[in-house]
Amino acid sequence: MGSIMILNGSPRAPKSNSKRYATIFSEKCKCKTEYFNISKTNHIQLCGKSEEFSDILFVFPLYADGIPVTLLNFLKTLEENPPKNKPVVSVLVNCGFLEYSQNNTAVSMMKLFCHQNGYRFGSVLKIGSGEAILTTPFKILVNRKIKKLASSIACAKYCILQTTMPISSKMFLKASTAYWINYGKKNGITKEQMETMNIEE
Amino acid sequence: MKLILSDRPLNLEIEEDDVEFIDLSSLKINNCVGCFGCWTKTPGKCVIRDDAVKIYPAIAKSNKLLYVSRIKYGGYDAIMKTMLERAIPIQQAFIRLVDGQTHHVQRQVALKNAVIIAYGDIADDEKDVFKKLVARNALNMNFEKYRIIFTAESQLEQTVSDEVEKWEAL
Ligand SMILES: Cc1cc2nc3c(=O)[nH]c(=O)nc-3n(C[C@H](O)[C@H](O)[C@H](O)COP(=O)(O)O)c2cc1C
Repeated sequence: MGSIMILNGSPRAPKSNSKRYATIFSEKCKCKTEYFNISKTNHIQLCGKSEEFSDILFVFPLYADGIPVTLLNFLKTLEENPPKNKPVVSVLVNCGFLEYSQNNTAVSMMKLFCHQNGYRFGSVLKIGSGEAILTTPFKILVNRKIKKLASSIACAKYCILQTTMPISSKMFLKASTAYWINYGKKNGITKEQMETMNIEE
Repeated sequence: MKLILSDRPLNLEIEEDDVEFIDLSSLKINNCVGCFGCWTKTPGKCVIRDDAVKIYPAIAKSNKLLYVSRIKYGGYDAIMKTMLERAIPIQQAFIRLVDGQTHHVQRQVALKNAVIIAYGDIADDEKDVFKKLVARNALNMNFEKYRIIFTAESQLEQTVSDEVEKWEAL
């Protein structure tokens, strides 16, 4: 059985949802995993380290419909500093919106990176409603899919998986409104203040 | 307002007053740290007070928009992508349905006629991914219409000039 390097490409990696997903992954995974945040200063170190693993799992959020610039910059460094033995690259991407399919373009970008740089592309897990799903009872759905993701990578039977809250868009609208009102409230900001139409005024 | 946002300097002759040209590579723009302060602490304002805070209001106001960016892995390269990520203060946290799909409510953001000039040595599969990306951007960034032009870097200034001339002819 191989070993998996988990790389978190969220710009808020230490406090990210991606980190929570990565923790679940490590708990469910039967083979050895090692977790790293991608920071501005550790690219070269991570490139070197990647040689020790059979697989890399990139865990990251969808940012402006694509991969976050934190991850983009790391991939560019990896392109310049490739490991001798290239691990298989798998992806766990989460987005704020309900539809997991909104992550598709980011997945295509990761595939392009692999294609251009000679990495085999492995498994994918796309999570919709990823900002909030772990705080709901639907967490159980995420746990199940992450377990499947982990065994697919461990057995090298790579596959595509997805999950989101099993609710209607209208319900999601209500639930997300409540989520964000509560977020603002913790900062002493009202719904009306959050709804300002002004930008930098 | 007409806005040209470029990830590199360009030698352009712009005759009209209401065209603003911004070279992002000459500015100090840090990357978004994902704190959601612009939605939940200081709504409409980013908590990072660098040059980006002058750019996203211009993006919001523009109704004719030209993005000029190098392409990497089928997406915008880092300079443009960094700015696009920093532009989320122009949206609210709250979500609406667009064609049945969930997207954010925009603040005071003009509907846009956008032209995206994607440059570099771009393979066909990369172009396909970029087209999908911009189609998604259109929903999230208030594009009413958009066009994508792929070009080599050596042709870039000419391509941009041609597009600006089309604006000026309007
Ligand atoms: C700058 C920025 C851009 C984002 N763009 C999108 C997007 O295009 N689509 C989407 O569904 N969610 C988007 N999100 C939401 C994040 O993907 C979501 O909150 C995710 O759970 C963050 O994961 P993390 O905590 O691992 O960083 C964006 C968030 C930020 C801060």
